[in-house]
Amino acid sequence: MAAAVSSPLTTHVLNTGDGIPASKMAVTLHRLDSELKIWNMLGVGTTNEDGRCSGLISQEAFTSGMYKLRFETGSYWESRGQTSFFPYVEVVFTITDPGQRFHLPLLMSQFSYSTYRGS
Amino acid sequence: MSALRLQHIQRHILPENQTMAGSLGTLTTHVLNTGMGVPAANVALVLYRQDSSTNAWTLITSGTTNDDGRCPGLITKEQFTAGVYKLHFETAQYWASMGETSFYPYVEIVFTINDPEQKYHVPLLLSRFSYSTYRGS
Repeated sequence: MAAAVSSPLTTHVLNTGDGIPASKMAVTLHRLDSELKIWNMLGVGTTNEDGRCSGLISQEAFTSGMYKLRFETGSYWESRGQTSFFPYVEVVFTITDPGQRFHLPLLMSQFSYSTYRGS
Repeated sequence: MSALRLQHIQRHILPENQTMAGSLGTLTTHVLNTGMGVPAANVALVLYRQDSSTNAWTLITSGTTNDDGRCPGLITKEQFTAGVYKLHFETAQYWASMGETSFYPYVEIVFTINDPEQKYHVPLLLSRFSYSTYRGS
C-alpha cells in the first residue's frame, strides 16, 4: 500500500447556503515572486465530493513567502444555475514557517464567504 | 391648505430609495476587528472598478476607515455604474500598527454590481487569522 504524502497546504470549500461541500470547484495556488512582483501559478485542482482539494503543493516546493489561493466560486454557482455576488474569491496569505501545516477552508454562500486558518 | 402648500409638501414625499437628484444607489463598507470586538479604525482601503474591455483595475477612491470602522464617500452616484469592483484593505498594516502580526498581508474582495440603483453594503469582519464578508444592508 503506497503511503499518501499529503500537501502541507490544504483547503476545504463548503457551500453554507445549501449545507453541502462545494465539489467540482476549480482552485489555483500561486506564490508571489517578491522580486518581479508577479504571481506564479504553482498548482491547480478541483475540489472533490467532500469539497477538498489535495496535492496543491509538495513539501519541497512549499517555501516561505506570500501565497494566493484563488477559488472559482462564480463558475461554481453558475454551474448550479445560481447567481453570486462575488465572481471569484482570492485569499492572500503569508507563510513564514513552511514546516507547519496550513488548512485554509472557505465557507461560502451566494452572498457571503469566510476563511480562516484552521487545522 | 393652499394648492401651493400642498405641492410643496408633495415634493418632499418621494419613494424610499429616491432623492431629488435621482436614485440612491450606494456602496458602503464597515471594517470590524472581531478579535478585539471593536471597529477597525484607520484601515487604509482602495476601491477599484474593472474596465470591462481591458480587464484592468481603475482606481476610484482611496480612503481610511474612521473611528467607527466606516469610510463614507466611497463612490459618487455618477461613478457608481454596473460592473466588477474590488475593495482592497490594508489589513496587515492595521494589525502592525497595533503591534500584531497577521496571516493575511491584505484582503481583497471582488464583487459584481448588476443594479447600481440598489444599496450595497460590503462589510469586512476581521481577526488576525480569519475574515469574512457578505452583502449586508
